[in-house]
Amino acid sequence: MEIYFGFQRWFSVHGSRFSVEHPLPNRELRTENRERRRRFLVAIAVAALHCLPTQATAEETSADLAILPSSVELHGSASSQRILLEWLSDGGTAVGPVEDPVTWQVLDSSVARTENGRVFPVADGETFLQAQLGDRDVRVPVHVAGMPEPANWEFSRHVLPVLSKVGCNQGSCHGALAGKGGFRLSLRGYDAFGDHFNITQESRGRRVEPAEPGRSLFLAKPTGAIAHKGGLRLDFEDRNYQVLSEWLLQGAAAPSHDDPVLKRVEVLPAEMQLGLEQRQPLIVRAHYSDGRVEDVTQWATYTSAQEPVAEVDEHGLVRVVGHGEGAISVWFSSQIVVARISSPYPHELDDSVFQEASRSSFIDEIVLEKLQQLRLEPSARCRDEVFLRRAFLDTVGILPTTEETLGFLNDTQPDKRWRLVDDLLSRPEFTDYWAYRWSDILAISGRRLKPRAVKAYYKWIHNHVEKNTPWDEVVREVITARGDSLDQGQTNFYSLHQTPEDMAENISQAFLGLSINCAKCHNHPLEKWTNNQYYAMANLFARVRTKGWFGDEGDGEGLITLTVQQRGDLMQPLTGKPQPPTPLDGEPLDFDDPSDRREHLADWLTAPENPYFARSIANRIWASLFGRGIVEPVDNLRISNPASNEKLLTAIADFLIRHNFDLKQLIREILISETYQRASDPLPTNRDDHRFFARHYPRRLMAEPLLDAIAQVTKVPGEFTKIRLDGNSVSDTSEYPVGTRALQLFDSAVESSFLDTFGRNRREIVCECGRSNTPTMVQVLHIHNGDTINSRLQAEKGWIAELVAAELDDRTLMTQAYLRVLSRYPTSEEREDWTTELAGLSDLPRRELLEDVYWSLMSSREFLFQH
Amino acid sequence: MLELTGPGKAHTCDGQTRRDFLRVGTLGAMGISLPQYLRARELGAIKPTHDNRSCILIFNLGAPSQLDTFDLKPDAPAEVRGPFKPISTRSSDIQISEILPKHAEIADKFSIVRSCFHTAAAVHDSGWQMMQTGRQFTGGVETPHVGAVVSYLGGRRSDLPPHIVLPELMGSGGGNLPNGQAGGFLGKAYDPYALMADPSQPNFRVPDLLPPDELGSARIERRKRLRDIVERRLDSFEASDDARLLDQNFHAAYRLMTSQQAREAFDLSMEPEKVRERYGMNRFGQCCLLARRLIEAGVRFVTINTFLTVFDEITWDIHGSKPFTSIEGMKNIVAPAYDQGYSALIEDLDQRGMLEDTLVPTLAEFGRTPKVNPAGGRDHWPQCFSLTFAGGGVQGGRVVGASDPIGAVPADRPTQPGEVLATILHSLGIDLDTHLPGPGGRPFPVVDTGNREIRELF
Repeated sequence: MEIYFGFQRWFSVHGSRFSVEHPLPNRELRTENRERRRRFLVAIAVAALHCLPTQATAEETSADLAILPSSVELHGSASSQRILLEWLSDGGTAVGPVEDPVTWQVLDSSVARTENGRVFPVADGETFLQAQLGDRDVRVPVHVAGMPEPANWEFSRHVLPVLSKVGCNQGSCHGALAGKGGFRLSLRGYDAFGDHFNITQESRGRRVEPAEPGRSLFLAKPTGAIAHKGGLRLDFEDRNYQVLSEWLLQGAAAPSHDDPVLKRVEVLPAEMQLGLEQRQPLIVRAHYSDGRVEDVTQWATYTSAQEPVAEVDEHGLVRVVGHGEGAISVWFSSQIVVARISSPYPHELDDSVFQEASRSSFIDEIVLEKLQQLRLEPSARCRDEVFLRRAFLDTVGILPTTEETLGFLNDTQPDKRWRLVDDLLSRPEFTDYWAYRWSDILAISGRRLKPRAVKAYYKWIHNHVEKNTPWDEVVREVITARGDSLDQGQTNFYSLHQTPEDMAENISQAFLGLSINCAKCHNHPLEKWTNNQYYAMANLFARVRTKGWFGDEGDGEGLITLTVQQRGDLMQPLTGKPQPPTPLDGEPLDFDDPSDRREHLADWLTAPENPYFARSIANRIWASLFGRGIVEPVDNLRISNPASNEKLLTAIADFLIRHNFDLKQLIREILISETYQRASDPLPTNRDDHRFFARHYPRRLMAEPLLDAIAQVTKVPGEFTKIRLDGNSVSDTSEYPVGTRALQLFDSAVESSFLDTFGRNRREIVCECGRSNTPTMVQVLHIHNGDTINSRLQAEKGWIAELVAAELDDRTLMTQAYLRVLSRYPTSEEREDWTTELAGLSDLPRRELLEDVYWSLMSSREFLFQH
Repeated sequence: MLELTGPGKAHTCDGQTRRDFLRVGTLGAMGISLPQYLRARELGAIKPTHDNRSCILIFNLGAPSQLDTFDLKPDAPAEVRGPFKPISTRSSDIQISEILPKHAEIADKFSIVRSCFHTAAAVHDSGWQMMQTGRQFTGGVETPHVGAVVSYLGGRRSDLPPHIVLPELMGSGGGNLPNGQAGGFLGKAYDPYALMADPSQPNFRVPDLLPPDELGSARIERRKRLRDIVERRLDSFEASDDARLLDQNFHAAYRLMTSQQAREAFDLSMEPEKVRERYGMNRFGQCCLLARRLIEAGVRFVTINTFLTVFDEITWDIHGSKPFTSIEGMKNIVAPAYDQGYSALIEDLDQRGMLEDTLVPTLAEFGRTPKVNPAGGRDHWPQCFSLTFAGGGVQGGRVVGASDPIGAVPADRPTQPGEVLATILHSLGIDLDTHLPGPGGRPFPVVDTGNREIRELF
């Protein structure tokens, strides 16, 4: 027993890892909070009204009060509603609960009453709830209905949420696939009918005793009346116990298909701006199809998406512990909502900093708004040479040549950055670079596909990037691919994913940034996707048939021909029946609709109204240009992983939709924004920013552009002659003539220890997470001792060899080297240092000196990073 | 900002005092210097008497079947017990599978925990997080690998990095999730150094460990000096963790590449051929041998991944169908190499008198389904699985915990990943109440509160 007790404690520890209280005396705490709130409101007011004369006025005029929720809906004698009096900022954002004593009053006490921060029903009718604070008061309407009837607990609406909240149906207890102790529940209550059966009928009904609920095993065990390996879960005094026991007493009514459906879950406040150490209780309400609204704060599950910023306990009490933006995801009955918390940095910045910052795109407007809210100072515009190198690497994946660098630096026209961008977007290397990036998502790899298939698949995407085909059309071609996989390259997506389940999962992953895999076996525990939705989605692919290769790499030509049949459905294992073919939360198709169901999916998926499609690709592009997504990681756009700037993501997604999914337009718009052009030099007032784009974040070059840059500088191209296949067998390839750049490889299986060491995406799965840009020690050893740089510096032909022949003076040598490697002139300080160093090395063999000079530039972070 | 005051005490951010609590401000990926490590040790994060303790963590990637290795159920129905028979061992209490005969001969040297379980999803990646960091990644917090925790608290003991992974970092587990083999919130500076080579290859050498012949020490020194001219002006990098990390890695790399000690530690050709053969001339066997040499040379923590990925490789992941492994694949390929390498390592450590100070845990992401599936394999099963421990103060020849009659759930002494982590830290002399600088610099316990070492092992 003792062991199991320990085990239960383990869970409670997990529930609140950081719930260590700071034992401050109450009065002190209150005073301190009041003071903090005052200072905080001032800060907000100053942020909002930048021209106010004094701070004191600011507080009086900007702070406002609101009761949460804005109307109280009560139904039946067992209902009640938690209430809060909340301070609001000018913009209506919640800035913390009122800490001072509030006088609550229901105007018509024959309709409702209030007690301990809750409203309880008395009789049917309408009235108002009033909160009085000093000489101010606020009111909200109260509506009471259903009063004559006693509480009528329903299985789906009330019983299952209780079981979820106290943990009965979690994965480690009865929610395990095999159940626990002979009693099985569906994970977090996704199968109401099965659960009701197991509770009331299974084991000859011995679990329930409706006449005497307390003697039911169902209650006696979790209350500890009978030994329970899962420990004490319910207290007799508890409302949870009340719900379960009364439900039993009322006859343990079964769920029905006519039960009201949960339409949406609401969390209050949904947006907060709070200071460090401030606390905020949340209120959660469930809205049902029968019009009823219930306070489910007690039964929701809370998780923080950014624990370094905000923590939350099991009751929904938020505590701010850091600066930046936090989010709390609230789960109730398989639905998720998110409450966001903004916690400004303590930087004293004048508002003119933000007002006067220049703007060249709608992007800047939105980013600056966020920076102002969070008190993060934007870095200045980067220097020309920095912009040049950055724009080259981000759009075409190569370094500018010395001629291009000089041409740009000497250009005195004010629009030269814009012209550079337009020029870059029309270069052939643009096509190679972006075709390569999309090949990562399409998983184009010779480890899974035969060489001819790899080539056809790659050619297809390369052609589309070259033509700048709108992204929705590209994706539609993948989804509705048919025919011969050599002829129709995109059909190879179906060679890689050969079951309806795989197809549904990978289409969602690649083009919506959604991972629905968990819902294959049960409702997604942290997301809204249900097992029904999963099989409804997968059923869209049930009629896809492939002839030819069946995915076994040892076998055949590796080619398929894809056809679509007019019948056939995919069974959902849980029900033994197919689900109506439906794209996730879209509209279902008739089972007997003879058309290719994938057309319907493509319509839904690429529609402007689809909340995931445009956001997913817009976020991928942003991440590619900034080194981090607005949602990070980019492969995970689930609701509980919110964007660092929601408005920004929505705006660039809308931009794409307005421009018919023309990706080049979005890339251009981002590149010309001031946000993209910010310097990477940190300011004291933004150095802690890693999410809000106050400055540019330096990052190591991607493996492929880095290898190409080394080849470009040394004028010694790489050779790609081998393909490393499954089981580590190696075969020769003649696909890549000498001079092929790494970004032109169409197969991630081409052997290159450099690319592997520097973290290229192996394309084993559909995920950008397959790529790593972390600078490891193995990489450093390779740069120092490996042959990629060293052998190129020593090559008989190449840049160093040419330099040996050209007799340059030291100054020219260094100017040339800096321009070639770092795309800039040396600073006067650097010139002095080099002059001193080189003077001492005049005896050295010329070749050795040149090798060492170039090595030192190419091993520097300035070369290895883009910044 | 490092806040380490008076011996045994440190002040937390809210002014409270807590014993053995280390707060290292917002250093994050910066790491701390040697004197600070010493300071940390002074404070009791690692017991001085245990500073010579090391760990070779063998991670059985793919997840072995408990029912076919260390927890056989000969009396269970055929679809549960599977094809293998139990055999007796040198320890009268212990029976294990016939596919591990060499384990049987050294069963007095290691102990088995038969009741490990966890609550994460039955996907490899989640299990890797659970078993290597003791927790699942939630709330944007990535917890560090136990080797990173040891590196952080113990620091470097020689020219070699404190935590080395052999032969390579884990590859894809199919779940698109981080695999728990990194420094996590301690920063990438505490990521392990990964060998990235197969030590059983005839021409094995550590890639790029040594400078090419034409680079003499004078030239290395010169290159370093010239490089510094360029590096000097890079203010823009000071707020970038990755850029600082690269800088640190350059320093660590210089130390490694110029070290005689490191060069010799990696040189397997210095071992007699007979010893190499005893370990098995395959990747896993030679990794075990290399691990012993690295520990001898002062490395604190070596993690051996028995495999690199579960796809297209013969591993413990015996679903029975491609691209995974069949039960015969396990019997004929996986188990023999594992049996030989592991037993050689334990014997060798024992004969050299190193076993007492070297903990060898063998972990896995989960176990496998009690019932054999239609493909003749077994699928993922986190509800119950077996682990082994040897050395580092662990007594051999014991069985801790038990599973139910079909190996489906713990029947006695259920054991959580946090307790497994606590066991490793405890063996290495780390106080389980130690706190790390967590996300945002806030204190983060090395294991979740309440998790203690598995006492029955010691």
